Amino acid sequence: MSTDLVLDGLVRRFGGAAVLDGVDLTVPAGGVVALLGPSGTGKSTVLRLVAGLDTPDAGRVRAGGRDLTGLAPERRGTALVGQRPRLFPHLSVLDNVAFPLAVAGRRRRAARAEAAGHLDLVGLADLAGRRPATLSGGQEQRVALARALAAAPAVLLLDEPFSALDPGVREGMHRLLADLRGAVSPTVLLVTHDRQEAAAVADTVAVLLDGRIAQAAPAGELHTRPASLAVSRFLGGVNEVPGAVERGAHVSALGRLALPCASPDGPGVLVVRQEAVALTGPADGDATGTVTRVTPRGARWRVEVTTPAGPLSAETGPGRTPAPGDAVGLVLPPDQRWVVPQATG
Amino acid sequence: MPARGPRRALLLLLPAALPTAAVLGAALTVAVLQSTGLMPVVGEPDPTTATYRALAGDRALLDGLRVSLGVAAASTALALAVGLGMALLARTTRLGGRLLRAAAAATVPVPHLVGAAAVGLLLADSGLAARALGAESFPPLVAGPLWVAVVAEYAWKESAFVALVVLAALAAGERELDETAATLGAGPWQRLRRVALPMAAPAAVAAGGVTFAYVLGSYDVAWLLGRSYPEPLPVLAYRLWTDVDLARREQALAVAVVTTALALACLLVTAALLARTARTARAVR
Repeated sequence: MSTDLVLDGLVRRFGGAAVLDGVDLTVPAGGVVALLGPSGTGKSTVLRLVAGLDTPDAGRVRAGGRDLTGLAPERRGTALVGQRPRLFPHLSVLDNVAFPLAVAGRRRRAARAEAAGHLDLVGLADLAGRRPATLSGGQEQRVALARALAAAPAVLLLDEPFSALDPGVREGMHRLLADLRGAVSPTVLLVTHDRQEAAAVADTVAVLLDGRIAQAAPAGELHTRPASLAVSRFLGGVNEVPGAVERGAHVSALGRLALPCASPDGPGVLVVRQEAVALTGPADGDATGTVTRVTPRGARWRVEVTTPAGPLSAETGPGRTPAPGDAVGLVLPPDQRWVVPQATG
Repeated sequence: MPARGPRRALLLLLPAALPTAAVLGAALTVAVLQSTGLMPVVGEPDPTTATYRALAGDRALLDGLRVSLGVAAASTALALAVGLGMALLARTTRLGGRLLRAAAAATVPVPHLVGAAAVGLLLADSGLAARALGAESFPPLVAGPLWVAVVAEYAWKESAFVALVVLAALAAGERELDETAATLGAGPWQRLRRVALPMAAPAAVAAGGVTFAYVLGSYDVAWLLGRSYPEPLPVLAYRLWTDVDLARREQALAVAVVTTALALACLLVTAALLARTARTARAVR
């Protein structure tokens, strides 16, 4: 069932404006790649192009070495689960899951038996006889997932499938997806605008900015080693220290800060995730400054500090939190320091 | 506490149900009373089934019944085939759907009498079609033995009605479901058979039932484009009603009662069919 998926220079224009401007992306066989991007950047368009529901203006889609570009959707082997479950209202839950099997020419009894197995896989075996209208949102989405898996797709496309669900249900769906990977290891391309979801579900997260893949990397690396200021900002990074790299160190208003890995000399912006920054006494730390604002962020606090290099932020856990006006020191752990090119234009 | 459930539904239905019941109920009651001798035009009430018994043996009624049912069945079948087919075809493109909706919406308000006159001008043996073809012996479509012009007029008008109803039923998300079915491996035929048709079926059944009942009880088109004998039931009823012999009025009302009973039976069958489509629609057959 597992094949790789390769997108090669996909371009899609709507009314002259290129929404996708050369998207290159590879999903390895059995891998899960999350396509992450702000709303309206054409994430869903990528999936529609892969599924054959839309035609690219340029570029190709390949799966398992087969060129899918130009094939009708039903001949691609790419099942799509969207934000809404789109179950067939005139069919029972079991017959919804049996649909792709019946379409493939399976006998009714065999199709239903196999469908029951898929329904069991998503934990809804006892709802087989129900009508879609009687299900909850989470149940509907599980049925949609089972139905997509029943099609035995070469590639499973998920278009924000969990975004309409309650947080608790969503986490259950993330666990289910992980279980399904263990059972049937499908190749999955998941579209989401939720950074946490991308990190929780995918091996690789690809950030789609301005119609192109700005960076594709494991979620951890994406956060600590962004390819650009745009990626850093999109992922919520707020600490940016302009300066220059000189012989393995970043030189700025904060002074000379050693870098963990080699960076070419020249102008560069030091980025350090606010989650990695630690607070210390005003005498210690890589930077000192005055707390200007403290905002709660769930169980954590965001502490904003004015420093000679501009505002920097740290996120602290529950416990002792400084108050605005306090003088503090900031520790930028050496292994968390990363330099990106200065924004152009 | 506000009324809920069936009581509330009945209350909400009252404004529509009351006038219908009043008009239809009053007319039917009078028709039944007069045709059974309980409310004679002249003389004392004298309950009798003689009128109905006489009609049952009358060839005019049996022939009329045959023609009425035949014309209604043929018109309904054609209207369903054309209307459903057009709607299913048009839905494949957005523009097609819009164009068909506009065309159907323009057709529905045309009065049947105007439609009948137009069809007459088109299909009569001295009509446009005959002249355009320049045929020596044009088939008798108007007032011919096969009731072609009558069926054509009803099928034309009612196919627009069927198309509108089916398009409205399909509008609710059918396109998305069609895409979903495609990504699940269903080709165009499979999508038509397993998604579009089952979703259109309830609307088509309802529209078909209404069309059949309407054609069965409709007078003008058959009178204008049909033969003088046999007469469809409404034409027969009208002729008997306007007869100089007042005794014929009872027969006219009996024919009307029979026609109404048939139309009601047709609507009951439609309701049963609707319940069945809702219950047994299954993709895996």
